Amino acid sequence: MLREAIKLSVHGEEIDPKAVASEISKGFFDLGLVYKSTLWILLIIFLIGVVAFTLKALDGGIQPNERYNWGYFSAISAFVLMGAGSAPLVATALRLTKNHWRRPFSRIAELYSLVGILVVFLYIPLLIMLPPIEGRKTIWFTDQFPGVPVWWDFLGILFLVINGIALLVISGIPDLAQAVYQSNGKKSTFLKPMVRWWKGSQHQWNIHRLSLISLGATYFLLLILMQSLINVDFVMSLIPGWKDAIMPAHIALTGIQTGIALVVLTAFLTKTFGNQETKKYFPMESFWSISKIMLALSLLWAYFWFAAFMTLWYGRMPVEQTILKTFMFEAYRWPFLLNVFFSFLLPFLLLIWNPVRKSILGPTFVAVSVLFGAFFMTVRLYVPAFGLKDVVGHELMFVPEAIGPDLLDAAIIFGVLSGVILIYMLAAKIFPMISIWEFKEGLLYQRVRPFMRGNFLVVGRPE
Amino acid sequence: MQEGRILSAKRINNDLLRGVFENPLRYWLIIGFLAIFVLGAMGAAGYMINRGLGVTGLNRPVYWGFFITNFVFWIGISHAGVMLSAILRLSKAEWRRPATRAAEVLTIFSLLTAVMMPLIHAGRPWRVIYWVFPYDFSRGIWPDVRSALVWDPSAINTYLTSSILFVFVALIPDIAVIRDRTTGIRRKIYGVLSLGWRGSTRQWKFQAIAGILLSALILPVFVSVHSIVSWDFAMAISVKSWHSTIFAPYFVIGAVLSGVSGVVTVMIFMRWIFGWEEYIRKEHIESLAKLLVVIALGWFYFFAMELIFGIYGQEGDELATKHMQMFEPPWVWFFITFIVCSFCIPVPMWLFSGVRRSMFWMVVTTILVNIGMWLERFIIIVPALARKQVFSGTWYTYAPSAVEITIVAGTFAMVLLLFLLFAKLFPLIPIFDIKEGQVLRDEIQVGRRKVPAVIRED
Repeated sequence: MLREAIKLSVHGEEIDPKAVASEISKGFFDLGLVYKSTLWILLIIFLIGVVAFTLKALDGGIQPNERYNWGYFSAISAFVLMGAGSAPLVATALRLTKNHWRRPFSRIAELYSLVGILVVFLYIPLLIMLPPIEGRKTIWFTDQFPGVPVWWDFLGILFLVINGIALLVISGIPDLAQAVYQSNGKKSTFLKPMVRWWKGSQHQWNIHRLSLISLGATYFLLLILMQSLINVDFVMSLIPGWKDAIMPAHIALTGIQTGIALVVLTAFLTKTFGNQETKKYFPMESFWSISKIMLALSLLWAYFWFAAFMTLWYGRMPVEQTILKTFMFEAYRWPFLLNVFFSFLLPFLLLIWNPVRKSILGPTFVAVSVLFGAFFMTVRLYVPAFGLKDVVGHELMFVPEAIGPDLLDAAIIFGVLSGVILIYMLAAKIFPMISIWEFKEGLLYQRVRPFMRGNFLVVGRPE
Repeated sequence: MQEGRILSAKRINNDLLRGVFENPLRYWLIIGFLAIFVLGAMGAAGYMINRGLGVTGLNRPVYWGFFITNFVFWIGISHAGVMLSAILRLSKAEWRRPATRAAEVLTIFSLLTAVMMPLIHAGRPWRVIYWVFPYDFSRGIWPDVRSALVWDPSAINTYLTSSILFVFVALIPDIAVIRDRTTGIRRKIYGVLSLGWRGSTRQWKFQAIAGILLSALILPVFVSVHSIVSWDFAMAISVKSWHSTIFAPYFVIGAVLSGVSGVVTVMIFMRWIFGWEEYIRKEHIESLAKLLVVIALGWFYFFAMELIFGIYGQEGDELATKHMQMFEPPWVWFFITFIVCSFCIPVPMWLFSGVRRSMFWMVVTTILVNIGMWLERFIIIVPALARKQVFSGTWYTYAPSAVEITIVAGTFAMVLLLFLLFAKLFPLIPIFDIKEGQVLRDEIQVGRRKVPAVIRED
């Protein structure tokens, strides 16, 4: 049992282990005026989005031959799947690699699992709009297999979301129990039956640890599989003649980049606008460490893009040249340039500097840039894929005209984004945004001790 | 509990310089054994140069065979150095310490071996100069700088130069230790090589900064080398199954898998030959095995994508090539052996802690990986060329000749021989790094247990 206050970094604030639970769960059950107002505003924007969606549906209908109307809806849906789907991976991957600096980010990342519910609803109309696979090239190879691709894609997304929510619930139960037992009031009484069984025994903790490891590993495999599958079905197989083996991996990588960016941005907002007591739970060192991964991912993003571009460009095959012109150089030139700028150039040029990495604002700024980049990537890929009417041709014979967003598309995009934030803010009132048990565990493994002529952080390696 | 003991600086010096100052009989026996293979390979190469490429199994259309397969394989092994050294150094992984030098040295020697393969493959090695430099100004014949084959020498030479620099910078403090323990001409040579190292604070600071900078700078070079090697194939659109956008990262991750496996094999042999049980501990091999699981899963994903998108296009030629690689003898046997050796056997085994901590099983599995990865390159290169093309007038299959087999076997012996000769001149485990690790180790009391801990310098 820890008795003394612990410092998470040499220059950081002291944290009293006995006060961790009360500090983090303070205000957990309160919905302040600002919080409530924000929720209402988000709900209104979300409802405007729903109305815009309905108007669009009434105008042309939700069917395969009206697909070209839904390019921007598909792009924003893919963006949400990419970001919110990959965010829980940040918690599981860093937990598996036993990084101590992950602890402020874990719960923030896991809470995005609940946004998956919205993803399921977003993908239902998109799946309805998928044309039959007969006569075109797909990753399923044959339409004799029952339910391809619609049902398999749907089940894949559903399993991913269920897995993510299971991960969140299991990870959050000890904290919820802690928060419930430290509070009074109606909500606390309502949640008590949910956590009554949690006693924190050695046996329960062992099962908890094993569940997190196995669910985390399954989530990782499912996510990569689903990102690959969905993006081939919704983009590549809708463009005749496009064969790009690296594209699924590239989008999966962009998803991970986006997930990290979402987590960093949320952590920054929580630190800035959250409770005064919780500010010290987000040390600069955590932002510094994750920024190194962000730098590596931005380089990898550029490498994957270049590997594909170089092979297609050098080959000089007409079908591949048309593909390049469509996605990069002619029709969707501007989304492409913005994509490269926000996903690679800006993050790279900023994060190569240690003072930028070693700050809270630097990685946050880059996170915003990455989110813009990922959005433009889905626009340049999904909009032309959905805009193409003939999907059974042997090859793309011409560069299609670029399709711009209309007012309804804009309303849908803002509506979906508001929906994501709304669900997240509600989720943050079900589970505390900082993982109490993980933080307490971290305090056991860290000390600031004198060494040579200064004080240094000593980090224990959990076995 | 910490697995290793606290060792004195004197003990570390004595143990790690054993290879330099002692002459055990088994060391020279191994050197002699390997030298026989190398001499045999040199003889075979001489015979081939004298008689021409007709003594090999190469023919039209299979103009790339064992030599080019071996070239790609050794380039792959060379990726271990940077993967382990640069990435683990930047991420401050404690368990990197005994592995870095071996990995870096393996990089250099495997790169040197890889470079030799196209030279030998050319039949008349001196003519290779024409690929790189314009040889006839009057006739205006220039090498085609747009060809990936011409990019290769630049990339490999850059990688070789930076790897040598990388090893040398990390060697300086250790060379100074040897300098202080030798006399006469050896002292003078080590004195020159140690660049006046005295171990002052300023020198240590520069050495550390140089290491970090080189680690960061060498990473793009490391990725570019194997990407360019992969483009030797991917840019050739006429050979079916080669023109794939995934080739570059697929080759890179395959190289990392084979390279890290190679390092594990070499480290276990080092532990056995030099008796370094205190330095290359089970925990180090276990950490490398965990890393291998992650790399192998990543590699498998890329392998699956390459395979799926080979079929995705539903193009007759490409389907026929894939069919040939996977279902037609003799290629099918190589394919099965490749996938079983590089993934199906080792990865499930590495999931068990008992295997990860067993020196015997780790040697077996990592050697299996490299057998598999060598065959992978063979399967990519040869069947694709051997398949009958629409306009090809003649076509044959390919069977390596005794000359090719001898030369390829000789390259394996050569890398090991160079490695052991290096061990006679310099320590294969960085002395200063191990000492630093000893200074930075600590323990934290958690309940009734003491958990191993490290002091973070930032």
